[in-house]
Amino acid sequence: MSFGDGFLRFPDLFPGRRGGEPWGERSLVLDVAGGPYRVAGLAAAQEEAVRRKFDGLCRAAGTAAAVAIQVFRAPAADFLERDVRGWEYMLDMEHSRSSVLLAGMRLMARLDWAPGLTGGLWTCEAAGEEWASIFENYFRVLAAYRLLGAGGAVLHSAGVSDGTSAWLLLGPSGAGKSTSSRLCLERGASVLSDDLNAVLPAAGAPRLVRLPFAGDLAGPPGGPPSYPLKAVLRLVKGTEDRLRPISPAAALAGLVAAAPFVNHDPWRHEALLGTLERLARSVPAYELVFSLGGGLWDILRAIPA
Amino acid sequence: MSSITLSTVFRRRSDVRYRRIEGEAVVLRQSAAEVLVLNEVGASVLDLADGEHSVREWIEALSGEYETDAETLARDVLAFAGELAEAGMLEEVADRGPESEA
Repeated sequence: MSFGDGFLRFPDLFPGRRGGEPWGERSLVLDVAGGPYRVAGLAAAQEEAVRRKFDGLCRAAGTAAAVAIQVFRAPAADFLERDVRGWEYMLDMEHSRSSVLLAGMRLMARLDWAPGLTGGLWTCEAAGEEWASIFENYFRVLAAYRLLGAGGAVLHSAGVSDGTSAWLLLGPSGAGKSTSSRLCLERGASVLSDDLNAVLPAAGAPRLVRLPFAGDLAGPPGGPPSYPLKAVLRLVKGTEDRLRPISPAAALAGLVAAAPFVNHDPWRHEALLGTLERLARSVPAYELVFSLGGGLWDILRAIPA
Repeated sequence: MSSITLSTVFRRRSDVRYRRIEGEAVVLRQSAAEVLVLNEVGASVLDLADGEHSVREWIEALSGEYETDAETLARDVLAFAGELAEAGMLEEVADRGPESEA
């Protein structure tokens, strides 16, 4: 199946550049890791929906931004209808050295580097939760690329904090990211996200950065937006609690597997491997076998700096 | 794939990227975003799979690095080559049978 075939009625007419008819003249700036990001070309109802979804992270339209995203109209007839019963959300992506194309449910989008990153999003959704979800699904991808360009990474993970430091919990779907987050939460930890977190380089330890793609357990936005990362942990469900150091190579493998979107992009694999190798070398990494007994949080806090 | 012998010549597939860290290797096959961790011998095999040198030449190169007998090393290297080929990390480019090695 060729790019876009599953979502677009006319894949051959995919926009060849960032242009088209904007939905409106509204814009806003999102203060999210890797940004700020300016979103322009919005209708009033679209702006309102984005503000509601990213409450607390919206800045005045005049705020300087690092990345510009332009939103355009697309006719509903351009998109195929799909039966979404039992369907797991996915995007179709096509990669090249200077751009990434995305097709998804009622969206077409581009990332372009010329040389800085810019974004373009075409949709038929004019307002409401459907529109906000389309924007968020695109924004997740754009943020992952932007953070990679900044020497960081977005990672499928759980991030937990004691208010001073943070721990990154990795594992494939079903490994226990949400369960372990809940266990930590019950013992007084705060959860940055049990879905997507960002890691950015910093003097001293890398920092775990809160993203607005929070999953089910994260608290409301607020508090410090990032914490020094104390350890990376590969989660394994078990009947007891046990901590075992793992090699930097094993840590790197876990990090690469957890880096959504960019780990499928052959043009960015060298950058991804380099970035995550630096992370794997700079932070202790462990395999954490954990039970439902509740000792997980104490184990994390006892990890030496 | 034909059976692997000491005369087989492999190269890394073009979509394979890897990093060596403290003796191990993390291998990423781009087309599938698969990630593997290889031990030191596996990492060395990846290094040596340049499309020029046969498995026999790999073993000769590695014999100075590992304190193991030649038979065990040959068995391990052949096994790794087979596993990496099976996993789509290596592709066979030639078999330098006895005549071409002569």
